[in-house]
Amino acid sequence: MRYVKWAFWSVLILVVGGFLHYTMPQQDIVRIVNTEVRRVDVGENKIFWAQTDVANTPTTVNRDVRFIETIRPNGKPIVYRNEDTGWGWPPYFKLDSSNLQAEASDRISSRDNPQWVVMRHYGWRNEFISIFPNAVDLRPIDGPDVTLIPWLNIVILVVFLVLILVARQMWLQFRERSIDPLVEDAGEAWDKVDAFAERKKGRLRRWFDSWKPK
Amino acid sequence: MVFALARLALMGFVGLSVIYVLVSIYSRSVRRERLEERWEAEQIGGDREEFVRAGLAEYDGSVRRKLILGVYVVPVIVIGTLIYAINYW
Repeated sequence: MRYVKWAFWSVLILVVGGFLHYTMPQQDIVRIVNTEVRRVDVGENKIFWAQTDVANTPTTVNRDVRFIETIRPNGKPIVYRNEDTGWGWPPYFKLDSSNLQAEASDRISSRDNPQWVVMRHYGWRNEFISIFPNAVDLRPIDGPDVTLIPWLNIVILVVFLVLILVARQMWLQFRERSIDPLVEDAGEAWDKVDAFAERKKGRLRRWFDSWKPK
Repeated sequence: MVFALARLALMGFVGLSVIYVLVSIYSRSVRRERLEERWEAEQIGGDREEFVRAGLAEYDGSVRRKLILGVYVVPVIVIGTLIYAINYW
């Protein structure tokens, strides 16, 4: 039973943690080397892609997606997609992918004369299922050695925690005021039934006993 | 855009309404409990039910209760701020 409990909590933490890690914003320090548009036929990896740009027809089979190709300070590449999230999930309400693409193109720099930017994004890069993090916005910085404090994530997590505690408090209040009295009532009713059965049984038993030879 | 936005608005309204009702019930329940405790602690005397009913009637007209409408207002403000911050800042 203890293992079942552990398994339950591990799975729960994994699912919630993974969900938050995918959905919440993250910041990378990168150097932009190229921006481009590729046609994409989204298939099994559908849930890791957004829909077409806001207000375009959402039913086309394939579409062009903007990409931003970058290099991290350690020399490894990271490629972002640049899609509208629109009014759907995750709730970034990003409508300006075209503008972001223009900003990114404006910051393209060479290895010899790098222009570092902070790329805010959400999502994961995974080569096995061809998914890319979605760039949300970017801002230029002087060098790759700045320390970024994720204020936004701190605020989101604190709000999330407070909401959970409020919901818990509401549930406890509901249980104390509405469920416990019902259970007590039911308990009292059951006691009455029990006592009644006991009395009846006593009477039946006495009747049986009266047939026994003295 | 109109369709997606309308869908978000509709689903948001339904979801927030559920939260509004739950929070209202919770807040009223807390108030009732507090009134009962006060009646007990301060030895107010008289009919307990009557005291609680009067207290809740006062609560129904209070600003505190209307603050629960913030359940609708706050998300709209947050979303508006987000749209501005993400797209135009």
